[in-house]
Amino acid sequence: MADTGNAVKPSSSVKLVLLGEAAVGKSSLVLRFVNNDFQENKEPTIGAAFLTQKCNLPTRTIKFEIWDTAGQERFASLAPMYYRNAQAALVVYDLTKPTSLIKAKHWVAELQRQASPGIVIALVGNKLDLTNDGIGNGADGDGAGSDDSGDARKISTEEAKTYAEEEGLLFFETSAKTGYNVTEVFTAIANAIPETSLKTTRGPGASHAAGRTEEQRVNLNGPRDPNAKEGCAC
Amino acid sequence: MLNLSSFVQKAQQLLDPTQGLNLSESDRNPSKASLFQSQFRLPSSQHPLYEITAELTIPPANATQGDRDRDRGFQYAGKLHLSEAYLCFSTTPSSFQQSASTSSSSIFTGQTHGGGPSGNGFTFPLCAIRRVERLHSQTFQFALSIATWNGISQDAAKEKDKKDLKEQRITVQLAGTRPACERFCDGLKKGLRANVGNVGKLKKVTAECYSEYLLRPEDKKNASPPDAGLGMLFKYPGDPKKLRDRAKMRLWAEYLRDNGRNVTLIRQPTFHKLIRVGLPNRLRGEMWELTSGSIYLRLENPTLYSDTLSKFSGRESLAIDEIEKDLNRSLPEYPGFQSEEGIGRLRRVLTAYSWVNADVGYCQAMNIVVAALLIYMSETQAFFLLSALCDRLVPGYYSTTMYGTLLDQKVFESLVEKTMPILWEHLVKSDVQLSVVSLPWFLSLYINSMPLVFAFRVLDVFFVEGPKVLFQVGLAILRINGEELLDAADDGAFISVLKSYFARLDESAHPKSENPKLRAVTKFQELMVVAFKEFSGITHSSITELRLKNKDAVLNNIESFAKRTAIRNLSPDSKLLSNDELGALYDRFYGVLYERQQRDHILKQEQARRNKSSRSRIAEVASEGDHGIEKGRVGLGPSTSLMDYDAFREFLAGMSKWAISDSPTTPRREALADKDKGFYSSFKRSDALLSPWGAGPEPADHEFLRRLFQKWDADSSSTLTLQKVVSGLARIKGKRDIMGTISYFFELYDDDGDGKVDREGILRMSEALLFLSRRGLEGTLSPSNSTLTLSEGANAGQNDVPGQSVNERFLGSVSAFIRRCFEYADPDHPSNQHNAVREVQEKLQAAQLKETASEELASPDAFAIGDDDDDDDDDDDLLAMESPTGSPKQAKRSDVPGDQQPPELQLNSVQLTPDEDDLALRRRVSKAQSEKANIALDPSNPLHITLPTFRMVVLADELLEQFFESSFPTSFHIIDNLGSSNTPTSASSLTTFSSLGIGAGRAVNAALGGAPVATAPAVGRGLRGVLDNIVTDGMRVAAEVRRRMEEAQKELEKNALPGQRNDEEDEEDEDDPAGGERSSGAGKGVAYGGDPERRSVRSSDRDLLTGADAEASGTSRVGDGIVTGDLSVDGAGPSSGSGAGPGKVVGVEFDG
Repeated sequence: MADTGNAVKPSSSVKLVLLGEAAVGKSSLVLRFVNNDFQENKEPTIGAAFLTQKCNLPTRTIKFEIWDTAGQERFASLAPMYYRNAQAALVVYDLTKPTSLIKAKHWVAELQRQASPGIVIALVGNKLDLTNDGIGNGADGDGAGSDDSGDARKISTEEAKTYAEEEGLLFFETSAKTGYNVTEVFTAIANAIPETSLKTTRGPGASHAAGRTEEQRVNLNGPRDPNAKEGCAC
Repeated sequence: MLNLSSFVQKAQQLLDPTQGLNLSESDRNPSKASLFQSQFRLPSSQHPLYEITAELTIPPANATQGDRDRDRGFQYAGKLHLSEAYLCFSTTPSSFQQSASTSSSSIFTGQTHGGGPSGNGFTFPLCAIRRVERLHSQTFQFALSIATWNGISQDAAKEKDKKDLKEQRITVQLAGTRPACERFCDGLKKGLRANVGNVGKLKKVTAECYSEYLLRPEDKKNASPPDAGLGMLFKYPGDPKKLRDRAKMRLWAEYLRDNGRNVTLIRQPTFHKLIRVGLPNRLRGEMWELTSGSIYLRLENPTLYSDTLSKFSGRESLAIDEIEKDLNRSLPEYPGFQSEEGIGRLRRVLTAYSWVNADVGYCQAMNIVVAALLIYMSETQAFFLLSALCDRLVPGYYSTTMYGTLLDQKVFESLVEKTMPILWEHLVKSDVQLSVVSLPWFLSLYINSMPLVFAFRVLDVFFVEGPKVLFQVGLAILRINGEELLDAADDGAFISVLKSYFARLDESAHPKSENPKLRAVTKFQELMVVAFKEFSGITHSSITELRLKNKDAVLNNIESFAKRTAIRNLSPDSKLLSNDELGALYDRFYGVLYERQQRDHILKQEQARRNKSSRSRIAEVASEGDHGIEKGRVGLGPSTSLMDYDAFREFLAGMSKWAISDSPTTPRREALADKDKGFYSSFKRSDALLSPWGAGPEPADHEFLRRLFQKWDADSSSTLTLQKVVSGLARIKGKRDIMGTISYFFELYDDDGDGKVDREGILRMSEALLFLSRRGLEGTLSPSNSTLTLSEGANAGQNDVPGQSVNERFLGSVSAFIRRCFEYADPDHPSNQHNAVREVQEKLQAAQLKETASEELASPDAFAIGDDDDDDDDDDDLLAMESPTGSPKQAKRSDVPGDQQPPELQLNSVQLTPDEDDLALRRRVSKAQSEKANIALDPSNPLHITLPTFRMVVLADELLEQFFESSFPTSFHIIDNLGSSNTPTSASSLTTFSSLGIGAGRAVNAALGGAPVATAPAVGRGLRGVLDNIVTDGMRVAAEVRRRMEEAQKELEKNALPGQRNDEEDEEDEDDPAGGERSSGAGKGVAYGGDPERRSVRSSDRDLLTGADAEASGTSRVGDGIVTGDLSVDGAGPSSGSGAGPGKVVGVEFDG
């Protein structure tokens, strides 16, 4: 569709896997990124869901093949099946649930040890809208700072950020509900993927993407209008 | 009776291949009972008691199908089976040979291959049978006319009503020898009588069946119909017109009218056909329940669901938290689940199930499956159907490791490889993982893959024919989409091909066909045809075989993943251990748990075999909580992640040689203490395999082990997790820091955590040191010790093992340890320690306490069995409890005080009867008190040592220092195995005072022999460690006494007396070298019996004594005089004994 304009740019696909505790919003993040949509009662993912979405970088186009995995603990043993060959991973936790960060750390450790070397990992604290600094509550969009007085926030930005820096992870706090920071996560990942590890698209036969081919982006400055669409600014 | 039968049931489940993937050795040889249960979908409480070839005749009025024979109705030849509560008939005779393999059995089981109620016939609960009459038959010896309660309203069955009703009556002709028929009929009679009481339950169960309402005459239909699911409130999915629901309902009503409803339904060919075309909405729930067999579970315990809910009302659990997360997201597109009503039902069913099957708890996907069930059935029905699913139809799918799911994915992949090699090759080449696509199909039974209406059609067949249906449908999906899939080059493309296929299932399969009939065939119909025609070769048995083949690999995968994860998720202190060590610990930890469970199972199976004869008497058994799933392996679920004390002992015995018992007494009472003693005692001796410790060495049960367990069990839950074990070991082995190890050891004995260890604790510490060292020390130890040069010459000549001398010297170190501890101990009341007398008193008291400790260790049985005087009976009894090898000698020497019973038994006993010990202890103490004129025992004079003192005392001795620095941490062999040569179990190889020091024993006894108060029993209690301590302690105390006597002889005339006497006698003994020779000779001849480990009595004795002397209270008196003095005071200890001859002491020591 809209990628005709990008035809000249090199296109490559990146396998990305989402991991994290149950109900932290993995599927919602993907849904926001792929369809710019949000469902209050998203069915739990059984096994894993597969979606694709393109991200246009200035020099190239990245087609994300997103594996959205089930979060329940017992599904953990299935995860290797999904993160196999993944070039990027989103490890998601719930800002309002301390246990979910512990689980996220476990996943990071698992990935660092078992996944393909050089995998780009982003640590994402979701549900920012439930905190005071969440833009969903009308706070400043840049408010994802150290303010820890958020209503439901249980994990301070520092804590997670420090951990992310130690482990060399990308770090974001997002809200799938409002769309805040969601696209940034994927864009940052796209930028972090080393050029060398990119393979070219597998060809037209593979383009049965479930999602739209045009990348969606939530305007950072217009949080109350999550449907605003823009080309990828990166 | 109940107890027995539940064991039988458990055992049967163990043998059952189709329930749970217990693919143990019995899987290849499924039991007759399991085949029977799976063919008729009966609960595991049912066993095939009688079977007989028979012919079923359905009278013309009932026969609706086939070539109706006007005169004789419809006839089927098959087999009639009788179980405890069911009478079953099937035209597909399953071969229930005892050792039949699944495949050979299933040859006979027709379409469903043993996996379901196939063929034609019935499964009547005996309580549904109203009357059985014997008919006079020309052609057969026996013909039974069976009338059921079908359609007869049991509450208000007036005669008039009955006449209106058509009674369901069938005839069964038995074909067998007369005795066989008689037997069957007798069994039936008994069964019928026994099941009369269940009619009430049956009524309850059938009241929830929609068929009862459906077949009710129109004039009585005013009552509200039974709950046929949320669909009655929120409409059933799909367009009823398109589904031709009305027509289907009419057909079913007719069928049920003719062939019986719910439990009294007779399966004829039409039944299977009607199911294949799709069940009508309102009957769907009932038929699912009937064909899956969950209705029989409900019949067994109709109130289980409501009982469970009320029992656990208000309780919280992890599963409930997980359930709550998903309630709003289970089939959210169905209106019923947008309402509180539907969500409430879903919550209750999932919660109740998580309580009755806590091992499974809640797994995502269950919410979707249960939500689907609830559209068609009541909560209770859904609850039982969920049980049937988890236990039998899709075993292991929802377990915590989901091994069933993963296994079936492997099975599916191998089926694809076999049936569609080109597609498989394509998948491999394009690196597409099939299971990422197919796993959700299986896990949610296609419910959220296909549109609901079609998923339910699959379920209709699935419940009759079993799990193979999931495979058949899956294969058919791939086959139909094969061309397109071959074009798909990656996961994404692959997924979207299938996604769009599922979305178009209701479209015509042949839209361009000229033939309108062909055009009318939907893609779904095509799918069903391909699944069941083209893949008819996929049978229950082929699935079972593939499962067997792949099981190990799948479990290994899961386990290595689990291991990796578990190790990585351990707390940071685990980093003190290496990764290899953690891995080995993990293996050991779960290895022990697994072994123990397996042994437990074997015990149960054995028991089941023994009870087989009584099985026919087994009454109905509630099957709740029995899930028949193999446990133990990590890959199978979480059933055993906790280690109790016995498992802990076994765990340690695999790592540390000191944790191995010195006197294997398989099987011991206490080993089974936590189990049903009476139950196991009957066979526990029958088979070595049934040893409570399996093939491994029997673990010791020493106070030290118990303390270690308690220390590691940080939250006092009486169980250890892997984390606790790792944390515990990390502190010992991790840092290799002597100060840490010393503190750790001290903490073990600082019961109240106040930084002080009292007198009792000091003695126990030294006891533990001896316990830990008795099989020799490991680690880096200096080869010699300057303070012990005296013994070097002697040892050099006699030691086969160079390290032995170190081990021997260690005993000296321990005795020095005790002495120093008391020397440097702080009094609890400083005012009490104002003079030397006090000090001596304390030490004497310590010695006495030492003996009390040993008393405590003594077997309480001694008091029961002992026949001699008080002071001897300990020994007698201990002898009696020794292993049989030495018994003749021991018997002869039963009066000998110096037997060397290893400490385990006594320790065990202590726990069993503390009172008795306590009594004995007090008796001794008071005795001693009087004899000592109260100088020794002063309870008002307690003392303790602190950690710094302890540390100082340890560091003061090179060997002790080395012990804590190296030997103790090294003694936990996490990675390397204990070689069998390293783990001698005989007491003779132990490094102990008694085993080393014949002379010591002899000298002691010689000294004691003449002592006014004979202490022999205290010495010869047989507790190796205790003995050692007493000897040492005695020596030390004696030295003190002597010194004190010399300093204040006049003041303490009374107390000096025994000491002097002993002194003299011992001096004689010591002065006479021949005496020493004699004793050692006696040792050789009588007791050691050629034991290569034996030592020079004299030298080791000296060694020890010198060691003690060198450190003796700072006095300059080193020499025989003091030695003898020591011993004599020891002899003055509280327990009097028979005069102990030197040879005797030895004789008992080495019976092991």
